[in-house]
Amino acid sequence: MIRSTLALTLAGSLATAFASVAFAAPLPAEKMVGNEKCYGIALKGKNDCAAGAGTTCAGTSTMDYQGNAWKAVPAGTCTSMNVNGHMGMLTPKKG
Amino acid sequence: MITGFAESQDAFAAALLHADQPLPPGITTARGMADAARFAVYRNNVFVGLTGALAQRFVVTEQLVGTDFFAGMARAYAQDHKPRSPLIIDYGDDFPDFVAAFPPAGGLPYLPDLARIEVAWTQAYHAADAVPLDLAALAEVSPEILPDLRLVAHPSVRLIRSDFPVGSIWNAHQQDEVMPVSDWYGQAVLVLRPHMDVDVCILPPQDAVFAAFLLNGASLGEAAQAAFAAAPEFDFGAALLGLVNLGAFCAFHPDKGSNP
Repeated sequence: MIRSTLALTLAGSLATAFASVAFAAPLPAEKMVGNEKCYGIALKGKNDCAAGAGTTCAGTSTMDYQGNAWKAVPAGTCTSMNVNGHMGMLTPKKG
Repeated sequence: MITGFAESQDAFAAALLHADQPLPPGITTARGMADAARFAVYRNNVFVGLTGALAQRFVVTEQLVGTDFFAGMARAYAQDHKPRSPLIIDYGDDFPDFVAAFPPAGGLPYLPDLARIEVAWTQAYHAADAVPLDLAALAEVSPEILPDLRLVAHPSVRLIRSDFPVGSIWNAHQQDEVMPVSDWYGQAVLVLRPHMDVDVCILPPQDAVFAAFLLNGASLGEAAQAAFAAAPEFDFGAALLGLVNLGAFCAFHPDKGSNP
C-alpha cells in the first residue's frame, strides 16, 4: 500500500472508531470509564491472593511424599474440558 | 578432606536436588560422622519449598491436573531447575516450557499456554507501575504521521497466543465450580496491570497479529498491514482504540528512522 494511502486509511479507520464509541472529540478520563471494557473479553480473576510465590508468609510445611517414582495421571478438572468433542484428554490414558 | 569453598558449594548444590548423589563432604554430626538422614531432611525441605512455590503460582495448572500429578511434575522440574534468582517470585518462569516437553502431560496440549497465563499474571502483578497512554493524546496525532508511530508497551503487558481457548479455561477456574469449556477455539490472551489490578482479557481473534506486532515494537503501519494480511476483516481503529483503552501502552513516539 502506498504510504499516503495507508496514512489516510488508518486515520479514517481511527476516526470512525473514535466516533463509534461516542466521543469524536477527546473526553476527559472519567467519561471513558464506561467504555473501558467494551473491547476484548475481560475475565474476572479471583486469585488476588496469589500475589506470587513466596510473597505470603504461610507456614512452610515440611511434609512431602516419596517422589522417586510417581505414576499419577492428570486427574483434576481437565477431565471436564471439552477438546474438540473429546472430554478431557486427547490421548486415552493407559493403566 | 580439604576443598575450596567453590567446590564444596558445587558438591552441596548437586547433592541437594538429586537423591542419588553422594553426601557432600563435610556434612557430619558433631562427632564427625557422615549424616545422610539429616541431609535427606534438608533436601526434602528444599523440594517442598520449591514445589510449594510452583503450586502457589500455577494455581489453575494444578487444578487441571490434580494435586498428585502436579506434585510429581513440579518435583521433576525442581530437580533440574534451581532458582536462578533469590526472588522466589521468579521461580517457574520457564515452567511452561518444561510442561510442554513433559511426556506425561502430553495429553493436555493446552496446559503449557495455560501455565503461560499464570506466569504472565505474576509478572504483571510485580511489574513496574506506569500510567497508561491517554486516549485523548492519541486523538491529537496528525494523520500523516500515524503509520510511523510506535507505541511503548506498558511494563506489565504480556500476550499469550494459543491454539486453545486458554483464556476461557483460565476463567472457568476462577469460580468455585468449574464449568466445562465447550467453545473450543484458539485465543489471544492479554495479561496486564494498568492500575492496581491484573486484567486478563481475550482479544478479538483478528486483532492478535496486530497486538503481537505492536508489542514487539512494530510501527502502527507495519502492524496494521500484517493484521490486514492475516485477517481482511481487521478493523484498525477499533483494535487500536481497544488496546489503548485496556492500558496496553504507556507512550508513543514517531519513528524517526523512516523516510517521509
